[in-house]
Amino acid sequence: MFITVTNSLLEGFWVSFKIFGFTLFFALPLGLLISFGSMSRFKVLRFPTKIFVWIIRGTPLMLQLITIYYGPGLVGKWAASLGVSNFFINWLATWSVMDRFNAVIIAFIINYACYFSEIFRGGIESIPRGQYEAGQVLGMTKTQIFFKVVLLQVLKRIIPPMSNEIITLVKDTSLARTIAVYEIIWSAQEFIKSKGLLWPLFYTAAFYLLFCGLLTILFNYIEKKLDYFKG
Amino acid sequence: MALLEVKGICKNFGRTEVLKGIDFSLEKGEVLAIIGSSGSGKTTLLRCLNFLEYADEGTISVNGNILFDGALPEKKNLADIRNKRLHFGLVFQSFNLFPQYNCLDNVTLALKLQKKLSQEEIKERGLRLLDRVGLSDKIENYPCQLSGGQQQRVAIARALALSPDVLCFDEPTSALDPELTGEVLKVIRGLKGQDSTMIVVTHEMEFAKNVADKVIFMADGVIAEMGTPEDVFDRPKNPKTAAFLNKSLESF
Ligand SMILES: Nc1ncnc2c1ncn2[C@@H]1O[C@H](COP(=O)(O)OP(=O)(O)OP(=O)(O)O)[C@@H](O)[C@H]1O
Ligand SMILES: [Mg+2]
Repeated sequence: MFITVTNSLLEGFWVSFKIFGFTLFFALPLGLLISFGSMSRFKVLRFPTKIFVWIIRGTPLMLQLITIYYGPGLVGKWAASLGVSNFFINWLATWSVMDRFNAVIIAFIINYACYFSEIFRGGIESIPRGQYEAGQVLGMTKTQIFFKVVLLQVLKRIIPPMSNEIITLVKDTSLARTIAVYEIIWSAQEFIKSKGLLWPLFYTAAFYLLFCGLLTILFNYIEKKLDYFKG
Repeated sequence: MALLEVKGICKNFGRTEVLKGIDFSLEKGEVLAIIGSSGSGKTTLLRCLNFLEYADEGTISVNGNILFDGALPEKKNLADIRNKRLHFGLVFQSFNLFPQYNCLDNVTLALKLQKKLSQEEIKERGLRLLDRVGLSDKIENYPCQLSGGQQQRVAIARALALSPDVLCFDEPTSALDPELTGEVLKVIRGLKGQDSTMIVVTHEMEFAKNVADKVIFMADGVIAEMGTPEDVFDRPKNPKTAAFLNKSLESF
């Protein structure tokens, strides 16, 4: 039985891991972009970005999941009922609900990109102006200053909050269950329904703990690697 | 012809007039010391020379070429400004070394990015400059492993790497413990005569007196007095200068 449960949970965990991996891979660069938007000199860019980040950070991820999952179809049907008809609307209306897994990935990427963007912003804004000025005086371009002077210092500063957020992400993947994505918690609950077994649910903790443990070790390693300078 | 010619520099921050018409010129190899009380606009003047700030009026010329003219609308063209900056170097009060690079890389980073010299030439120049500021034994050290005085000497070497026509220092020793100011001032003095033209904003009156060829006393955004160190320190014409000198002597 233990083997069966483990195998089944591993399957569920693989889904959790995929959510984690895809989210991280896309939310990190997107977050950097959003952080640039929220620091932009141009109000037309800065203001909407900040509003967007506020909405995403101010509402539960669970709600966002549901919105992404049902939203497009609902909008399509509603628009169709108003008599609007064009290619896009028709396409939305036929799309009753989105593919579950894709909906999860999209919602997670948007949500985490916003959190990451705030971490990036904090990191970038904490770099003293003197660093930029030292680069400018040496005739460097803005791009050179960002990549050669600022970036590594930002990285060093954001590792602690980033590791926090990423470890939260590991556990947040369980929210995918809300729209019936077969992640590890869901797969454990199957055993309650089918066999009346409760312990597989608690057994999932081992998977989370192991994974978060590995991540902690990784982050400690990166932190050590960047320990050679202060700044 | 003067190496550096500054004419009628004015700078406002909103409604505060910080510089109200600064004129001076500097010959090649000369050392100019700028003294003056806090808030008189010394830092702002150096920042205008290095284009970290854009003067509202006035011109800055090097070797007879007008680099900056406050009257022209395109004064803030970035690519242009970047090239013009190379005529000037700036050593900051707070060093502003790049913490993630060792001493040698701090000195050579800008040269590497310029890609005008070969790797060997760049390294050779970096080593020579660090030797000149007496830090040959700290090449591989990171800024956090150095004393303040050593950090400032690396910053001087870094500023020299691009061979600026005019090297500016903004209170290079103000952030240092008193026992460390000497080593930095000695390095700056050592640069004199190696045809470095320098502008040094300083509160070290002895240094200004002994090293400078020319001294400017600034007060409230204008040059209240300008002349040789003997003129300014021993025979000040402006009562403000005399008052300032008395006060800075008192504090010892
Ligand atoms: N970015 C800025 N915005 C607004 N006001 C500024 C700015 N920079 C400088 N000032 C003002 O300009 C005046 C001159 O400042 P500056 O730093 O040039 O003085 P300073 O002579 O270097 O003084 P200190 O000896 O204290 O370094 C001060 O009154 C200061 O408040
Ligand atoms: Mg100053």
